[in-house]
Amino acid sequence: MSALLQAQGLGKSYRHREALTDCTLKIPPGHVVGLVGPNGAGKTTLLKIACGMLAPTTGRIEVLGEQPAAGPAQLARVGYVAQDTPTYANLSVADHLKLGAKLNPGWDADLARARIDQLELPLKQKAGKLSGGQRAQLALTLAVAKRPELLMLDEPVASLDPLARRAFLRHLMESVADNDTSVILSSHLVSDLERVCDYLIVLVASRVQLAGDTEDLLAQHYRLVCTRRTESDLLGNVQVVWAEHSDRQSTFFVRGDTEPPTGDWVAEHLSLEDLVLTYMERAADPGHRSTTHTTEAAR
Amino acid sequence: MIWLTARQFRAQALAAVAVLAAAALYFLITGLQMHHTYTADLISCTPQNDCDGVLRQLPETYNAAFHLLQLLVLAAPALVGIFWGAPLVAREIETGTNQLAWNQSVTRTRWLAVKLTAVAAASIAAAGLLSYLMTWWARPLDAINGNRFDALTFATRDIVPLGYAAFAFALGTLAGLILRRTIPAMAVTLAVFIGIQILVPTAIRPNLLSSTTVTFPVNQATASQANGVYMGRGGAEVYIAGLPIPQGAWTVSAPPIKDSAGHIVAASAHLNCFPGPGPGAGPGAVKAGGPDFAQIGACLANYDLHETITYQPASHYWPLQWYETGMFVALAGLLSCACFWWIRRRQN
Repeated sequence: MSALLQAQGLGKSYRHREALTDCTLKIPPGHVVGLVGPNGAGKTTLLKIACGMLAPTTGRIEVLGEQPAAGPAQLARVGYVAQDTPTYANLSVADHLKLGAKLNPGWDADLARARIDQLELPLKQKAGKLSGGQRAQLALTLAVAKRPELLMLDEPVASLDPLARRAFLRHLMESVADNDTSVILSSHLVSDLERVCDYLIVLVASRVQLAGDTEDLLAQHYRLVCTRRTESDLLGNVQVVWAEHSDRQSTFFVRGDTEPPTGDWVAEHLSLEDLVLTYMERAADPGHRSTTHTTEAAR
Repeated sequence: MIWLTARQFRAQALAAVAVLAAAALYFLITGLQMHHTYTADLISCTPQNDCDGVLRQLPETYNAAFHLLQLLVLAAPALVGIFWGAPLVAREIETGTNQLAWNQSVTRTRWLAVKLTAVAAASIAAAGLLSYLMTWWARPLDAINGNRFDALTFATRDIVPLGYAAFAFALGTLAGLILRRTIPAMAVTLAVFIGIQILVPTAIRPNLLSSTTVTFPVNQATASQANGVYMGRGGAEVYIAGLPIPQGAWTVSAPPIKDSAGHIVAASAHLNCFPGPGPGAGPGAVKAGGPDFAQIGACLANYDLHETITYQPASHYWPLQWYETGMFVALAGLLSCACFWWIRRRQN
């Protein structure tokens, strides 16, 4: 089975800025992938390239072993829900289902109908009159009912209130589990992804900072709290991702083996949120690998 | 894909049908009236052999309608380009729905092909219907006016409006695809269409087929056939009007009279030949034809002057219609190819 997404040196630059830089990734199949990063990090660019909406400036990409949007067959294998979940404002919910049925040979009418019924979306309602949450659900229904092998969603819950957000993600996970679909889901909030993703990509400032199986990543990262010292005083086979120093104390965020490094420190695992934030912080401050806090007294 | 195109185009199509139906009704009612009057006039005037006088009444009665309807038929392709072409893709890009459409199991090439074909066919059909009605409606007036090459008349009869519609629609679509916004695409479509409609009758149509040139020596015989002499630029140029060229021909150029060396002749150089108000009377001073004018001709004959007229004969009407339609259809084809090239360019 080919990788969900394989990219080599992938880049996209606009006249004045780099949207994606030297992105090399290989996402194994059968995952729910969280693509996380701050706004403007390049998440949308990566997803748009992956579904063939954008052509990269440099590098190569394959999705499910083929060029994105290579033909009708490849298009049928990939579902994509764009940011802000666009739908045709003057077409009704029923029209959208008919659109899906007419344009997708693998269309699962029963599934689509069941989802719409379950969501209690009025069939005759124009999509323009639906609430943001309902529209997102309609867009998701269209993408799910074409029965793709890979479903990509760009910030699908960004514009939804917390309740709708939770409902959307629950429905997404249900459909994915039922149909054995792989998913790539982007968000700028770790909390959206925490419950649903088993693979994580952190994208900051147009570059991939971290990518891997969530469980592995969590097992490999530690926070070490010890008396103040420099990085070189840390012994052992660890790689310092980020360090914070206060007057007496140093905190190191390290990546190592699955066994915690031993020494005169307290080692503890990071939460997913802390892990992501650590990499974001590092990426936001290139050149430095640490930050020093001065305490009240020292001032 | 055909279903989606039809569903999305439904509202615009209904609006167009309503407009076309209203126009057709107007054409039919006034047209039948006019045709009836024309037939009756012809019957009444033929025995007395004064048809020129009787029939001149008809174009005057329908003067306003004639010009307004011609403008409507000429505007139709522009409207098609603006309201059907420009939003075709631009509107989808603006609302982001192209991201929905392009991620169904249909390539965007096919998506564009179906949309372009279906709406282009509707555009051509609408322009064709209007042109047919206009040509039928204005037949008596065109026969009386005898000027089928008038810029507005030629552009609103027979088959050229079909070519314009195809062109304007493809132009609007491409503008929308490149600019990605509906309103600017509409503006660009209108501007380019107007530019083309000015450029074609003045610079391109006269040269589509080789024209005929006749040279008249300025003498008494020529002058007695003409119906006037006009002075231009305060007497720096002299024109002879109404020289006999074949019936229904299109005068492409009638420059001022020249001498044997090919230089433009000023009226002031031969003042002795011009009785009455001289060049001092200002630009456009006119000396009527008739016996006086024959005398001017006889007087000027001593100086070896000539008037050269270039025209397209009446027999070139249909070849020019076909050439121009073909040219616009070819342009529409090129613009459509550009649309496909552009939409695929963004793909890997």
